[in-house]
Amino acid sequence: MGKAEQSTLKEELLAKLVDELTLVNRKLSLLIELNENMLKMQEKFLHMSSEKTSFDRELKLAPDVMTLLSLPPALRKTAMVLLKLDKATAEDLARETKRLRPVESAYANQLVRMGYISKKREGREVYFYIESPMEIRK
Amino acid sequence: MRKKALTIHSSRGGTGKTVIATNLAAIYAVKGVNVALLDLDFRAPSLVDVFSKGISGPVKHWLNDFLDGRCRAEQALIDVSEAYGLRGKLLLGLANPAIEAIRNMMEKSRAWEVTAVKRLFSLRSMLFDAMDVDCCILDTSPGVQYTSVNAVVSSDIAVAVATLDSLDLKGLETMLAELYDAFAKRSVVLINKVFPETRVWSSDEQTDLIDKMEKTLKHPVIGIIPCYCDVLQAKRNSLLAVDKPYHPFLRDLEKVAEKLDGIKEIDREEHVLAE
Repeated sequence: MGKAEQSTLKEELLAKLVDELTLVNRKLSLLIELNENMLKMQEKFLHMSSEKTSFDRELKLAPDVMTLLSLPPALRKTAMVLLKLDKATAEDLARETKRLRPVESAYANQLVRMGYISKKREGREVYFYIESPMEIRK
Repeated sequence: MRKKALTIHSSRGGTGKTVIATNLAAIYAVKGVNVALLDLDFRAPSLVDVFSKGISGPVKHWLNDFLDGRCRAEQALIDVSEAYGLRGKLLLGLANPAIEAIRNMMEKSRAWEVTAVKRLFSLRSMLFDAMDVDCCILDTSPGVQYTSVNAVVSSDIAVAVATLDSLDLKGLETMLAELYDAFAKRSVVLINKVFPETRVWSSDEQTDLIDKMEKTLKHPVIGIIPCYCDVLQAKRNSLLAVDKPYHPFLRDLEKVAEKLDGIKEIDREEHVLAE
């Protein structure tokens, strides 16, 4: 094979390579686009599911009397006292339930984790309270 | 007298809850005790009719309005003690009997019920601490419904009224175990409308029946009241404790009132046992 022939072959190969690379590039662009769309959809889905979670949480935040019945007796007592007191420290709860303060603190924190009650710090005191999900929704 | 809130409840309708609640309230008020009587039967309000002779003018605010946050507690209470010549105060919290109000109460959400039970607790505190009330009686709707369970939760003693009807007693057994005990409430049973022969029973015979009932229901029975036809047939706005103070039904109910006075809330040891 002569030098001229070799050069033509190289050029052809290079042109073929460029074509292949262009094709790969196009495919990659398509994949990137698809991926972006999927990410957008995923984001939309996550947003929708987080909205649903906050809706569930709102419902869960209402420890009505029927919900109280489904709680273990020890937690039920703490929640009942909190309905009565509106806002209470672990010590206030313990005074009502006649149980030890650390026990009440543990039960109240368990209720906080379950989403039934909330807590806030006021100075040195930590208060537990039941949020009225909507003062009067209906 | 130790301040207390009593819920008059039953598993089924027609046991005589309202007659018992109204006359119990009147018996206390006649004695000079300050009483608040609240109609929590929002599906079938009746106190507005029972006390129609003592209520002057149209009712401006109902208990519905208070629970809805549309008025203050004192606005939703009507003092009828003067109208009935009672020594103690008799404050009424009335349920609105208008169909629209009943429909509205039936459509309340779970979230509303949380606010409602909190408002009931605040009403109770206000009655006892600011309005000098000694005894608060809550007349509820029968069965397990939000308002009746809210009443049980916010009271100290649940008085379950039942007849000797087997279905009634079956429902009562379930309610005592799964509702009152679950909320660690002091609960007692009052058997009403028992066959009239019991009026002439000896005390031994009555004790036997009470023992039998207590064994079945596993809760104290504080009284057995015979069926009095004239009580059943009395006009809707007749308050027996005022109109016929010497009626034997009232003697029976006075004994019940005495027993209720002797009941203490569940004490610490029982609380611990309940867990």
